[in-house]
This record gives sequence, C-alpha cells and structure tokens, in this order.
Amino acid sequence: MKAVLEARALAFGHRGVRLGEGVDLGIAPGEVLCLLGPNGCGKTTLFRTLLGLLPTLAGEVWLVGRRLRDTSRRDVARRMAYVPQAQTGAFAYAVEDIVLLGRAAQVGAFSVPSAQDRRVALQSLEQLGIAHLRQRRYTEISGGERQLVLIARALAQEATLLIMDEPTASLDFGNQIRVLRQIDALRRQGIAVCLSTHQPEHALRVGDRVALMQAGRILAVGAAREVMTPESLAALYGVAPADIPPGLLLQTGTQAAAP
Amino acid sequence: MGAAEGVGSAPGRALKHHAGRRGLALGLAGAALLGAALLSFAIGKFPVAPAELWQSIWARVSGTPSPLPAAMEAVVWRIRLPRIAAGAMVGASLGVAGAAFQGMFRNPLVSPDILGVSAGAGLGASLAILLGWPLLAVSGLAFAGGLFAVAVVILIASRVGEHDPVLVLVLAGVAVGAFLGAGISLVKLLADPSVQLPSITFWLLGGLNAVTVKDLQFAAPALLLALLPLFLLRWRINLLSLPDDEAAALGTPVTRLRLGVVAAATLMTAAAVAMSGIIGWVGLVVPHVARLLVGPEFSRLMPMSLLLGAAFVIVADTLARTLAPIELPLSVLTAAVGAPFFLWLLGRSRRST
Amino acid sequence: MLRRREGLLALAALWFAAPGRAAATALIQLFGKPAARVDRVFAAGPPAAVLLYVLAPERLLGWPMNLSDSARALLAAPARDRPVLGRLAGRGSTVGVEVLLKLQPDLILDAGTVDATYVSGAQRVAEQTGLPYALVDGRLADSAQQLREVGALLGVGTRAETLAVYAEQSLGVAAAARGASTAAWPGVYLARGADGLETALAGSINAEIIEAAGGRNVASVGRGGISRVSMEQVLAWAPDWIVTQDRGFFLQARTDALWSALAAVRDGRVLLAPDQPFGWIDGPPGLNRLLGVRWLAAHLHAGQAGGFDAVAEAQRFYRLFYGVQPAREALQAMLDGRG
Repeated sequence: MKAVLEARALAFGHRGVRLGEGVDLGIAPGEVLCLLGPNGCGKTTLFRTLLGLLPTLAGEVWLVGRRLRDTSRRDVARRMAYVPQAQTGAFAYAVEDIVLLGRAAQVGAFSVPSAQDRRVALQSLEQLGIAHLRQRRYTEISGGERQLVLIARALAQEATLLIMDEPTASLDFGNQIRVLRQIDALRRQGIAVCLSTHQPEHALRVGDRVALMQAGRILAVGAAREVMTPESLAALYGVAPADIPPGLLLQTGTQAAAP
Repeated sequence: MGAAEGVGSAPGRALKHHAGRRGLALGLAGAALLGAALLSFAIGKFPVAPAELWQSIWARVSGTPSPLPAAMEAVVWRIRLPRIAAGAMVGASLGVAGAAFQGMFRNPLVSPDILGVSAGAGLGASLAILLGWPLLAVSGLAFAGGLFAVAVVILIASRVGEHDPVLVLVLAGVAVGAFLGAGISLVKLLADPSVQLPSITFWLLGGLNAVTVKDLQFAAPALLLALLPLFLLRWRINLLSLPDDEAAALGTPVTRLRLGVVAAATLMTAAAVAMSGIIGWVGLVVPHVARLLVGPEFSRLMPMSLLLGAAFVIVADTLARTLAPIELPLSVLTAAVGAPFFLWLLGRSRRST
Repeated sequence: MLRRREGLLALAALWFAAPGRAAATALIQLFGKPAARVDRVFAAGPPAAVLLYVLAPERLLGWPMNLSDSARALLAAPARDRPVLGRLAGRGSTVGVEVLLKLQPDLILDAGTVDATYVSGAQRVAEQTGLPYALVDGRLADSAQQLREVGALLGVGTRAETLAVYAEQSLGVAAAARGASTAAWPGVYLARGADGLETALAGSINAEIIEAAGGRNVASVGRGGISRVSMEQVLAWAPDWIVTQDRGFFLQARTDALWSALAAVRDGRVLLAPDQPFGWIDGPPGLNRLLGVRWLAAHLHAGQAGGFDAVAEAQRFYRLFYGVQPAREALQAMLDGRG
C-alpha cells in the first residue's frame, strides 16, 4: 500500500539552524499517526517541513508518490491539509466563509467559489455536525467549535491527509472528546491524519501508530501499545517511570463505541 | 452526508435571507451615494436654483441649448460635476485600498498610508512646488513619489529575512514614511514663506477645489487599472487575512498575492492623493463601517467600501465648500465628520469587528 | 485719516521717549544698543532686505531669500553679488545663530507684522547674540514713516526723505483716485499660485495693496490670511479685475475655457504684476509694492490719472529705489508675460 506521505532521511530546521535529522516517517492511507514529544522537540518545525512550508535541509518528502518539492502549492493543498491550533482572528468572519477558504486550491486564480464549492463547504460542516454554526462569527463560538471549523476547512480541501498541530490543546475536556471522536470518524472515511499531542492518553485513544520524538529525532515508531511504555514515556519527557500514572496506559487503544 | 441542499430547505432559506439582507445594504449604500451626488450637484457658493439646475440637466439630456447664462452652465457642468466625480473617485480608491490593507495586515487600524504612499506623494508635490514646476508636474511628481515610496518599502522588506513578512512591511513603511515626512518638513523650511509655503501647506491639507477634467482623465484610468486586479482577486484576498502558514497550506502563493494587492492598492491611493492631496481618515474608517454592515469577507466588503467611501468624500467635500465662507481643507472635514460618526456607530453596534 | 495717524504717532512718541529707554519710536522697537556707525546690517527677512537695499544697499551683508539670476540682474552692485545667508524667523530660521555671531553685523534689521511672539523672539536673539536687533512694524500705509525712521537709524536721512516722498505720493495717488470717483470701488481678485485658486483675504498683508490702490478685495471673508477657493466661488464673486504675480497662471487663464466664464477675463481685465527683482504687489510684502500701488491704481481708475505710462514710471522707480536702469522693452516684456 503506497504511503500517503513519506519522509526519508529528512533533516529539517529553519534559518540555517538544523533542528532535527534522520527522520523516517510514513503515513498510510486512512491511518492516524500521533506524534508525541516534549516541548521544543521540533514537532512544529517538522510539520511545517512536511507541509512544504519550510524547505528540507536534507532528505526528501514524498506526497502521494511525488516529491514534495516537485509538487505545486495548489496540488499539495489538494492532497494534504493543515489544521492549525484554533485562534481568534483579527476579523469576525462567518464560519461558512472560513470553511469556504478551504476551496482555495480548487477555485481558479481569479475566480470566486462556485455553487459546487459552497456545497462542498456545507457538506464539510455537516459532516462534523456543526452546520448549525455556519452563519455564526468565528470569533463568537467556543474554542472547541473553532477547532472543528478548522477541521471542516481542511476537509473542504478534499485532501486525503490532514496534518493537525495539537488539535486538543487549550480545549476543555468535553471539547477534547468531541475532536477526538471526529478524528475517529475521519479515519473511518479513509482520511489519514497525522497529529501531534502532548497527551499520551489521546495518542492511545486515536492513534494507529505513535511516533516518539525528542530533540529532532524519532526515537520510536510503531503501534501505540508497543511504543508507549512507562519507560519510553519517562525517557521521552525526562521524568521517572514511577511518575507515570498507572492508569494512563491501561486503555485498550480501541475507540469508544461509535454512535 | 446530508441530502443535497435545495433552496427550499431551512439552511438554504437562511442563506438567502442573509444574502438578501446584504444585497439590501449594498443597495442602500448605492442609493446613499447617488443621493449625496445629487445633493452636492444642487448646492454651492454660486446660486443655482433647483429649477435652473433641472433646466440645465434637461437641456443636456435632450441636446437642446441651455437657457442658463454661461457662468452658471460653467459652474454646474465644468466645476461641480468634475468635483463630484473626483470626490467619488478619491473616496472609492481610499475605501477599497483601506479595506484591502486592513485585511492584508490583519488589523482594523491600518490605513492606506501605512506603507508611506502619502508621505511619498507629499514629498513629491512639495518638491515640485518648491522648484516652481507647473501644476501638472506637481500632480505627476506626487504620483511618482507615492509609488516610489512604496517600492522602496517593498524592496527593504524583501531584503530583510522571512521572520514575519507582514510586520516587516509595516515597520519598513513606518520608517520610510517618517523619513519622507522629515523631507517634507525640510522642503517647507526652504520654501519661500509668502509664496510657496502656503501652496505646500494647502496641498498637504488636501482639497478638491482645483480639480479639472484633465485631472479626472488621468486619475480614472489609473483607478480602473488598479481596481481590476483587486476585483479579480476579491475572494482570494481573504486568504491573506490568515496567518501566512495557513494561507500557504491552502495553496496560496502568499508573497505574490500580497505583492499584487499592495501594488494595486498603492496605485489607486497614489492616483487619488495626486489629485486631491493627502486625505486622511477615509481609508481607515470607511472599511470599518462597511465591515460593520456586511462583514469582513472581501468580495462583499469591497463594493461596500467603494460605495461608502465615494459617498463619504462627496459629503465631506460638499461641506468643505459650503460650510464656511472660505474653502475648508478636506482632510479636516473627513476627520470632523468621520470620527464622531464612527464613535456613534461603535456605540450602537453589538458585534465585534 | 493721515492726520489722525500723525496725532497718534505724536502721542506714541511721547510715551516711548521716556528716559533710560533706547531710541524706540512707534514703528521701530530696538533691542540692544547699536553703535554710532552701523555699517554691516543683517536683514532678517525679505521685507527687511528690501527696506535695507533701497536705503543703504552697500551695507547689506546678504540676502535672506533665494534670488534668481534674472532677479540679480536687476539689482545694483555690490548687493547684487551678496550671498544668500538665510532668514531669521524664530522656529523657521534658516540661518544659524553661530553664523550670525561669526558675521558680527552691527545691526539685525527685521520688518513685517509684529506681534508678541515676534517681539519676544527678537528679544531672545538680541540677548543670545549680544547683537542689536531692530524690529520695524508697519504695513504698506506706513511706508513713508518706515523709511524715515530706519533712515534715521542708519544715518541716511536724505536718501530716506527722497524715498519717503515718493512713497507718500504713491499712496496719495490711490487716495486721490478713490476720492475723485463716485463709483463703487472696483472688485479685485488676487490670484495666487499656479492655478490661481489661492487668494489672500481682505485684511491680509499680502492683499493690502488692493485697498491701497483703491480697490475692493472680493475675498472679504474672515480677517486676513491666505486661503484656497474654488472656481465656483470666484464666479460668484464676479470680480471686475484679476491681478496675479504668477506668470504661468496669467498666460493660461486668458485662454482657459473655465476662467473665460468671468467677464474680467473675457474683457481682458487680467493684470500680470512683474516679480523681478521683487514683486510689484507681493513677494515680499514690503516697499517693493510702492510701484505696484501706482500701477494698479492707474488700471483700476483709468481715466482719473490721465495717461499713465507704466513702463516709464517703472523705470523711474527702479532707478530711484533699486539703482538700476532696465530698458523699456525688458519692462514691457515682464508686463506682457514674456520675460
């Protein structure tokens, strides 16, 4: 099975500073890969490199079989979508306008979105169950709803891979659950997701595979249960294995029963 | 997956309702512009009764000679009409440019002057007046100065690293603007105080009292040339209000798009300033008001800013030429009219911008 | 009206002649004590430069304003070749105080509208530099007195008297023309700037020549100053005469479609005032206007003054005041806008 995204011997960094190297990662179609690592390990820079927003310092990134550097920005956007952490913008755009922006790679350079584009955007909203928010202002909805809006925008790109940067950060418990359920739903639809998280229990919950990252290097990649042991987590975060809560790793890693 | 959306369904109806309301707002803005223009046509220092005005218009329309005396005809068609057209053009330019810049810099407090176009134009005009050049050269050098200032800002910003391109642009604009402003002060010092200095001061204060058809013939093509790319990009510009990373990940050539928008907005602003002098406040407040009415989405914001800007400047200019026995500078009026109105609107509005 | 002024002056002279005070009269305010012989004088601004040049040109240290080559060609040596030093005008000064100290003039001469700001500024400079500072008040109507008082200060009383008589005659010509005519004073629009849409309002020092020549400034709103106007306003005013010192505007307005809507333009009642070496009606607002008064009055009240040969009168003025003898053709060319 051809990988959706593949990084081979990737070295990354920015402004001349090399932050990490020797990264070998692959994401299969419909797979959820969780990136776990302490602050400052280079997750965000790695993501930006995988998204093509930063040039690679060495090695290659392959997107759906093509070299990332040989793919135009538009084509990249049609295959791979970026879901950043939700923040308030300077202007109060309506939710449906935000999601519509996801169609940018499909709309002509000097055109406006067509009725079909609007339909796709609406469908994305419905898929995430937030179609009722479409006329609301982005700045007036809750943090969790905003995160879902950004996921909807990524879906509107009709990409097969979503790269999510800490999608559950700064969300309350309920909203975290909602987002995680959506990630489950996405996997069921065959959309691959690569997300970074600070919470190992989330990685266990949604991740098919987990990658442990430290100081720019991937320490281990594999099935969640195998890779995430108290020892590996302790080494990753620089704490004692005894500090890891025993209940943390007891979850089965299978998803809660889907509705 | 939901069923296919039809117009009859609830979200479809809501969509139509909102679109209808926005269309109404746009229609009202257009009506306000037309009303302002007609009112401005009918009032002024030279006494023209409404009946006489009607006679003159009718004569034009039907092709018959006008019964009005030559001076009155001149007032109506060669003084007031060009002035109203110029006011509309200046207001439209500044409104659209302001809306584009505010979206692009992700800040509702940005005006078209932020990259130094007004300072450059002011320096160009001041220099031309100091050197005693003819009027056409004053406008020409003002236009060139405005473009030159922004070109320098873009050049500087492109040389500095990729740290935060928008912030670098703003800071470079502030610095270049300050530098050129110092140049203006120097020119004012060197100017002859009884002859040249008043001319420079009046130019910098802005006004439409000397507008002729020739000015319009130059400004109109520049404005249309600049409006065209902004019109074509009217949906894409929304992408610039996202952080650069997000916009790029969505497939946008961010730097190129930003450059294009800056170039178009600068062209229209420079053309407006060359014709009317430095008029502040319009580019700041009009997009703000337009945003309160139709939201920040640029394909809707742009026509609204255009109409509101044109109406606003026509109203301000009409007041400037009728309120006091002497002509008041236009920028004083735009501030005096715009600021209280804006505060009132802010107090009323319960929505955030 | 002249009598009342003299009466007031006498009173003022009594008031200022208190013992212990420097020799200050109604028009001159003196800060510091000038030496007995005043040989080197610094002119602080253009009106003072003109005042100094007509009275004692050899004592002029330099010019406070730029002079074009054509202007210098109409000035007498050695003042013609003196450099541009810059003006002394408070915040707007272009000459540095250190330059002043290096020059060590015997006197700083300043002329123009005097208000409290100006007086305190002059005092400050006098204290800072230790140089005597003479501040001459007075407008066009005070020209004769200005000449006499500054002439006395500089010790050129005879010459000053000659010029003062001419000044009184100039200002008297207009009064006579006014008195002789029962018709309303003709309305005059003073067109400034290249587009002619800038004017000096009634009461402004830049437009006082209109009243002095027996005209009525159509821009009679407010209390002086310079302002922009619209063409519509000018049409509403419907002036009888248009006067300008801007050659470009003069040449363009006579054929411009919009300006031709004015009767004054159609009937050829547009006057161009020459501006070399100094303007006939303004630029600077000083004694250079004495010629312009006669010239303007002759046009405004044609018929009263009999045949007025502007060029001959100009030759007389230039010889008497500026010490040069321009040819008739040159002066005529300036009046026609050709030179």
